[in-house]
Amino acid sequence: MRYKWFVLPAVGIIVLVLGFMLFGGLGDNLIYYLTPSEAVDQQADFPDGERFRLGGLVTEGTVETTVEGVTFVVTDGDRSINVVHTGAPPQLFQENIGVVVEGAWAGNHFESDTLIINHDEEYRAPDDEGAYIPPSEN
Amino acid sequence: MSERSYRALSLVAVVAVAVGFGFAMAAPPERIQGEFAKIMFVHVPSAWLAFLAFGVTMIGGAVWLMKKTPIWDRVAASSAEVGVFFTALALLTGMIWGYPVWGTFWDWSDARMMSTAIMFFVYVGYLALRRSIPDPETRARRSAILGIIAFVQVPIVYLSVTLFRTLHQGATVVRADAPIDPVFLRALMINLGAFTIVYAAFMAWRVRLARLEDELEETEAVADFDIAGSGITAPNLGEVPGDV
Repeated sequence: MRYKWFVLPAVGIIVLVLGFMLFGGLGDNLIYYLTPSEAVDQQADFPDGERFRLGGLVTEGTVETTVEGVTFVVTDGDRSINVVHTGAPPQLFQENIGVVVEGAWAGNHFESDTLIINHDEEYRAPDDEGAYIPPSEN
Repeated sequence: MSERSYRALSLVAVVAVAVGFGFAMAAPPERIQGEFAKIMFVHVPSAWLAFLAFGVTMIGGAVWLMKKTPIWDRVAASSAEVGVFFTALALLTGMIWGYPVWGTFWDWSDARMMSTAIMFFVYVGYLALRRSIPDPETRARRSAILGIIAFVQVPIVYLSVTLFRTLHQGATVVRADAPIDPVFLRALMINLGAFTIVYAAFMAWRVRLARLEDELEETEAVADFDIAGSGITAPNLGEVPGDV
């Protein structure tokens, strides 16, 4: 049964890799982003300039276009953080949409240079409620 | 199966994809994502068919270990190959969808994207393993074992969006309240059906090819062939001018 020398290490390696993926160092990476509540609670761990990702919903009525980019408030319904973003946001950027911004605390606001949209898993036809507005007209 | 039934199955697959494409195009633009949401009709069936294909590879391997009949090894191998194709299609359409909607093609710390990429490479490794073992029985046994173990990735990929905070959205269709309007769900299910027929057609042809390969291998093993190139004699150049 020559195949046995091969099977044991293979099983071992796969189990190790999967275990590492699920419970190991990659797990911290897989947190992916902090919510505004977590970011406020852990502000001491992330001094100004220490980069992390912040994710939440763009609060209605807070989006303002600036010369350098856009400012808005990101919220998880509990805590809210002012975000100053440098750069053009993706075309789906709008109020009440999920975003993940990457950057660091700058005093009591968050300065970001990367903004991606974290849309939800809902698929709604336009005539269900409210008219559909093509992204180009936003 | 006769040659005609293979062709008939392929024709049914082409027609089904055309019907699915029609329903996808007829679906209205999604309220937030607009026309970009249409990529769902290729992306989601591709991912589901990849899961199914790797499930068949696992079952094929398990049945081979019990019965040792070559057909089950061929089924397992063919399904892995088709599964790699559908995984690649899911990754590619995901990137095409992500760029306009998320604002990025890829994210190295997203659990769904990374676990899918790992699954892709492990099954490419499965196909490489098969080509590295000349003896059919050894090849079938080792492949069956890898095919069974590698399947643990399927639930990991599937659950990655539930277990981890990801950029990739969570599950829609299997959610109790399925937050998808019927017009999208109908088009999605029709495309899922069409992709399943494509899978069946790919499998029929690929298993047939695997059988023909095995038959050729057996013929070559018993035949007394001259080695390649033996029909050619070296040209007599005589003395090469300028040679010292």
